[in-house]
Amino acid sequence: MTAKRFRFIATMIITLIFLLAWVFPIVWSVLNSLKTDQDVLAYPPKLIFQPTLEAYRDVLFGSGSILPNLISSFIIAIGTTVITMLMAVPAAYALARLRFRGKKFAGFYVLATQMLPPVGIIIPYFLILRNIGWIDTYQGIILIYLSFSLPFAIWLLVSYFEDIPFEMEEAAYLDGASRMRTLWRIIIPQVRGGIAVTIVFVFLNAWNEFLFAVVLSGNTVRPVTVAMFNFVSVEQTLWAKLAAVSVLAMLPVVILGIIAQKNIVKGLTVGAVKGGGRR
Amino acid sequence: MTGRGQVRFEDIVKMHGEFSALKGVTFDIEPGEFFALLGPSGSGKSTTLRILAGLDAPTSGRVFIDGRDITATDARDRDIAMVFQSYALYPHMTVYENIAFPLEMAKLPAAEIEPAVKDAARKVKIDHLLDRKPGQLSGGQQQRCALARAIVRKARLFLLDEPLSNLDAKLRMETRAELKKLQRSLGVTAVYVTHDQEEAMTLADRMAVFMAGEIQQVGRPAEIFAKPNSIDVAAFIGSPPMNLLPARFADGDVIIAGHRLKTAMQAAGERDVVVGIRPGALRIAPDGLEARVELIEDLGDTKVLDLDCAGTAMRIRVGDESVPPEGTVISITARPQDVHLFDPATRRRL
Repeated sequence: MTAKRFRFIATMIITLIFLLAWVFPIVWSVLNSLKTDQDVLAYPPKLIFQPTLEAYRDVLFGSGSILPNLISSFIIAIGTTVITMLMAVPAAYALARLRFRGKKFAGFYVLATQMLPPVGIIIPYFLILRNIGWIDTYQGIILIYLSFSLPFAIWLLVSYFEDIPFEMEEAAYLDGASRMRTLWRIIIPQVRGGIAVTIVFVFLNAWNEFLFAVVLSGNTVRPVTVAMFNFVSVEQTLWAKLAAVSVLAMLPVVILGIIAQKNIVKGLTVGAVKGGGRR
Repeated sequence: MTGRGQVRFEDIVKMHGEFSALKGVTFDIEPGEFFALLGPSGSGKSTTLRILAGLDAPTSGRVFIDGRDITATDARDRDIAMVFQSYALYPHMTVYENIAFPLEMAKLPAAEIEPAVKDAARKVKIDHLLDRKPGQLSGGQQQRCALARAIVRKARLFLLDEPLSNLDAKLRMETRAELKKLQRSLGVTAVYVTHDQEEAMTLADRMAVFMAGEIQQVGRPAEIFAKPNSIDVAAFIGSPPMNLLPARFADGDVIIAGHRLKTAMQAAGERDVVVGIRPGALRIAPDGLEARVELIEDLGDTKVLDLDCAGTAMRIRVGDESVPPEGTVISITARPQDVHLFDPATRRRL
């Protein structure tokens, strides 16, 4: 009993430490976004202050509004996600199911691209995009994002497809379904969880991406992760506004996380619970 | 439906790399027949079924259904329904949707689908479960759902791949009988894969016995039981299995452990043979082979005695009559027509 209790308390303490470490920057951002610039810099830090939405008003509707940047981020993240999924689902299915020449190599290639350090390929990417005039364009950034989101999505989805017994598909063929119909009616509904998880990850990666964006974007297409640095200059850092933008940039991610939570948990435990027709 | 579902396998070979899974298999199935493919695992029976279904392509040879060469036809265009060993139900669909799926694929109007699904479900007694998902059904109910999905389309051929092997013994017996009645009432041709000789014996009108990629024997179950054409078939069919003993044939008799036993074969000369006698064909009678009772297995209505006959193990099945106690030496004999003779070299029946 006491050993059990001790273990419980120890677990709670460790969990709490991790939780604090994780929550602190978010709390810091939220609090500072509600302060005035003077309050932010006050020492010792003010825990009790008059909250104000001034920073939010400025970053959204002021002269250097980040609204266009938020919209850019959405276009890039949604564009990347949609194109990735349209290509990754059939590709993952093919890798999991079909027999074709070069399949092993293709499978290896998909993983190998994940091993490159992004910094190593950023200059070639820049040169390529410049040569075709795609620097500072949506198609340019989305194309580059696809080069890492697509292999990642395929790799993630293959395992979900592999989990579906062959016989399920064979049953569908004998029931008169074509391969495409089988994919749509029988296979995809069973990997829904995996697809949801992949969508979330791809969207988050595209939304949060900074390194490529800072190099490949410009004044026309500037995602919010890059635009945030408008508030950091040589002379000063506008902490309250920076915090407000951070919170605004976090919001879609948090909302998506909450919506997809059920599916993520389900998706991660795929294979633990077996379907009706398992071998 | 009668008149449809005639099958012809013509010299089908299937290679998996160097390994030949089927070494030239030829047989015919008549319309309306319940045909079993029986054999131990790895004998090629499932491969045969998969080739018939169109899920695997043969390396060479041709498959005909109703006189048409369908060797190159897609599985979905063959008009064949199949029940898988794992049932392969679609877990995200309800029982109703599962059964309706083949009809939807056949583009039947919705008004015809509903009565057809309900009718099929009623035939296999799951019409009260139509709203459930497969995961909420018991093993037996899942099996029935798979059956309903197969019969709903009224396909010309009905394939079953070890459909009862995942059920417990009691349920297997019940379902076996129902399956036979169902097949008869529908009048469809059924091809049934099993490794269980009892299942094949009770269900099939005719059966093909597979061994190591070849068909050993095709015929009615009773025929094959009475006249197995090889040592392997003899050992595989019947429970407990046939007693097989090395012996010497001499002018119509066989000499086993120094004792002469009459056979039905009238031939002169001497040669080595393998003698096969079913446990049920042996009788305890004076002046026969001497054997010691090692063990008595009581099956309730019958008893199986494990015997030691001059170093060779034998089994005899006896009814209610008084059984000699373990350890005693008894004398056993068999009627000449019950003594099967096989060639030890070719393993074929003599």
